[in-house]
Amino acid sequence: MELFANLLGKIEALSSQNVLILSSLIMALIMALVMAACAIVFTWMERKVAAFLQSRYGPMRVGHWHGVAQPVADMLKILQKEDIIPAEADRTLFTLAPVVIFIGSLLAWAAIPFAPGFIASDLDLGLLYIFAVSSLAVIGILMAGWASNNKWSLYGAARGAAQMVSYEIPLALSTVPVVLYTASLNMNDIVIAQQGGVANWFLFRDPFLFVAFVVYFICSIAEVNRGPFDMPETESELVAGYHTEYTGMRWAFFFLSEYANLFLVSCIATAVFLGGWWAPIPGLPLAPALNFIVKSVLLVFLHMWVRWTLPRLRVDQLMYLCWKVMIPIALICVIGSGIWLMVSGQAS
Amino acid sequence: MEVILFYFCGALMVIAGAMMVLSRNAVVAACWLIFAFINAAGIYATLSAPFLAVLQVLVYAGAIMVLFLFVVMMLQGPVLAGERRRLRPWLWPFLLLPPLAILLTVAGFLRRADNTSFPVAAPAGFGSAEQVAGLLLSRYLLAFELISIVLIVAIIGSLALGKVDRRQPWK
Repeated sequence: MELFANLLGKIEALSSQNVLILSSLIMALIMALVMAACAIVFTWMERKVAAFLQSRYGPMRVGHWHGVAQPVADMLKILQKEDIIPAEADRTLFTLAPVVIFIGSLLAWAAIPFAPGFIASDLDLGLLYIFAVSSLAVIGILMAGWASNNKWSLYGAARGAAQMVSYEIPLALSTVPVVLYTASLNMNDIVIAQQGGVANWFLFRDPFLFVAFVVYFICSIAEVNRGPFDMPETESELVAGYHTEYTGMRWAFFFLSEYANLFLVSCIATAVFLGGWWAPIPGLPLAPALNFIVKSVLLVFLHMWVRWTLPRLRVDQLMYLCWKVMIPIALICVIGSGIWLMVSGQAS
Repeated sequence: MEVILFYFCGALMVIAGAMMVLSRNAVVAACWLIFAFINAAGIYATLSAPFLAVLQVLVYAGAIMVLFLFVVMMLQGPVLAGERRRLRPWLWPFLLLPPLAILLTVAGFLRRADNTSFPVAAPAGFGSAEQVAGLLLSRYLLAFELISIVLIVAIIGSLALGKVDRRQPWK
């Protein structure tokens, strides 16, 4: 982190416009590397967590310790695979779809504050921007499903689009109580407002915020299409859903975006509810970025725990949960937090 | 810088719009329209309206176009691949419009390439979420509330029209 801070300081010192473009490019590169690192670390972690929850060992051979080199072996395998485009597919949209999904998740990283000053773009509308650009991924899923010209793909895409568009609403609504407290959509402001120990995290500020966090967590599972809400890619019904026809590197792009999105929703939860880069106990000598990443990885572990524990829902149950349970609860949280703010006199 | 981005997004938007009209495939046309909307967001962003830009992506590109794509994908039959129709002669002049629009955009850009910022800078905080919210909840409160009533009526209406009678599901 020293190195990053140093680099960033140098970039900021030369703040002419050309350098601005250069520094943006460097930050974009760093974020793309973060995404790649997500895929590498979390594929290994997912296997180990799944194995742990099912009383198995998981990968043990590749690399000397607990199969740590397994993702590298996987990557080499994927790179060698043949790139197949179905004869009846719409070639342009088929090749474009993984790129659209990848861009949708890469763009959102621009507004994630990993440490004080370490944010690619300090937008005033950060939170709204993240929700806006991550909704672009739905278009990529629909393109992939339709262009494959395969009924399983189309079903998967239709389910994915319906699910993601629906769950976006409670996901965004559950962060509104926090915005009421900070009166700002800037991600840096939101984190700075939680300075101090655990008690100052938005998670514990009032009971409604705690409920809002639970709503956010459940909806974020649905938003990244993971179990028990993995309707778009149910392997027992739809082969593999919208990416049934994809092979090799193109498939790897879907995979990469999925794990990057998993880490992204965890990072948003960390920044918005769990105090961002602040240590749990004030004055603890921990690097801010380390705090942030450890909290986010713990949330990712929670996602994996849920995935390998709970059975899958039916499509109608999924929609029922969103429209008749999650959205009303999120709305109550917004109103409740507003009243709590007014009564306790914390309104800014 | 902003001016370059403004004209860049403008030119891309014109191209995307033209391609949307000219595509033979409804799904491809919808994708071009999404691209046009994203460029419109870029134009808003360069014109000091960041809130509008984000909403443009969130509402139009992210939600409404997903609905469009959904409907087009479900309703469309086989792809109209081999079918080619001749353009009617009286329509030929209209083919000049997109290149003309791009030409005008480029000409406008070249005329004022000497300075790379807009002549009149917007005041600080212009177009931010606070200002938009302030206007909506004070000056335009009545219109804002009326629109929400209209939307609720529309939702209830579509629910009533689309509801399937459980006793007579064939109707």
